[in-house]
Amino acid sequence: MGRKRNKVEIVYDILRIIQKNGGEIKKTHLMYKANLSHNQMKLYLNELLKKQLIGNSPDNSNLIIIAPKGRDFCIKYARVKEFERTFGL
Amino acid sequence: MKIVFTPDWFLGHDVLIEVFSFVILFLFFLFAIKGYNLSKKKNLFYLGLGFLLIAVAELSTILTKFVLYFDTSIVQEIGRIVITQKIVKTVDIFYYLGFFFHKFLTLLGLYIIYKIPSKNKIKHFVTSSEFFLTVYLLLLVSFICQSYYYFFHLTALFLLCLIIYNYWSIYKKGKMINTRILLTAFVLLAVSQILFIFSGLNLLYVTAQGIQLVSYIILLILIVRILKNGKKKEQSRDSI
Repeated sequence: MGRKRNKVEIVYDILRIIQKNGGEIKKTHLMYKANLSHNQMKLYLNELLKKQLIGNSPDNSNLIIIAPKGRDFCIKYARVKEFERTFGL
Repeated sequence: MKIVFTPDWFLGHDVLIEVFSFVILFLFFLFAIKGYNLSKKKNLFYLGLGFLLIAVAELSTILTKFVLYFDTSIVQEIGRIVITQKIVKTVDIFYYLGFFFHKFLTLLGLYIIYKIPSKNKIKHFVTSSEFFLTVYLLLLVSFICQSYYYFFHLTALFLLCLIIYNYWSIYKKGKMINTRILLTAFVLLAVSQILFIFSGLNLLYVTAQGIQLVSYIILLILIVRILKNGKKKEQSRDSI
């Protein structure tokens, strides 16, 4: 079994899943793909919306889209991961 | 006693190399601290701290050499503020303080970088008795180095060998190109320390400075690679 993900890793997973899905995803699909409970996902989505990392689709309220700030976060986090791997952290 | 070993024709060039080293070390500090702010991983914080200490050490030697090479009147002023006793030559106090901090902070920074990959209770290592004992010993070495300069280079070489051993183990596990680049930079830094031990010979001092410059250029290449690879990997994940 894999180790428990921390908060930032879960945020990164959520954003990556949305990105891989073409930048938008249905909330239910995200819940399964990110391996989160309904309550957990609600909490995370609220936080990500507040931080403007994601947004609601104007056409479909059940659809969430990744914001430019969310894409930036993914790149920054990937760089940090690369840095950590380089130093074996 | 000789304070610096820079040959006359190389005066000023060594300061430029140290300025470049300072910039690269500070970039690593910024990268590690930004990473820590994002992921809250303590070992990133300590890595940043290690690089910051060595960067401040470089800054200390830059300022000391700058004053030493370019403005002796300032030295005399500062010297008078530091100590007014006639027994000790005031200007010397300023140099000794500058070079003392350079040595002590470099060794402490290298020690912290060496300790990080071991991951043994990294959270508490700065407050552990082992850490305080090491700081005390490094202080002693830094004092001794004021009379026997090669002690500093020998200690730095020893710490660099330990760091190289750590990163060699990490490289063997992951075979990551970035770690190999990092390893190369540390090996070159270790080689430069060997040459610095024989700083009495002008040519070896200049060669050591040159090797040190190459190792910092390699570290700069590493930063660029990390920035590029992070972005590239993220974009390639999107296209999967």
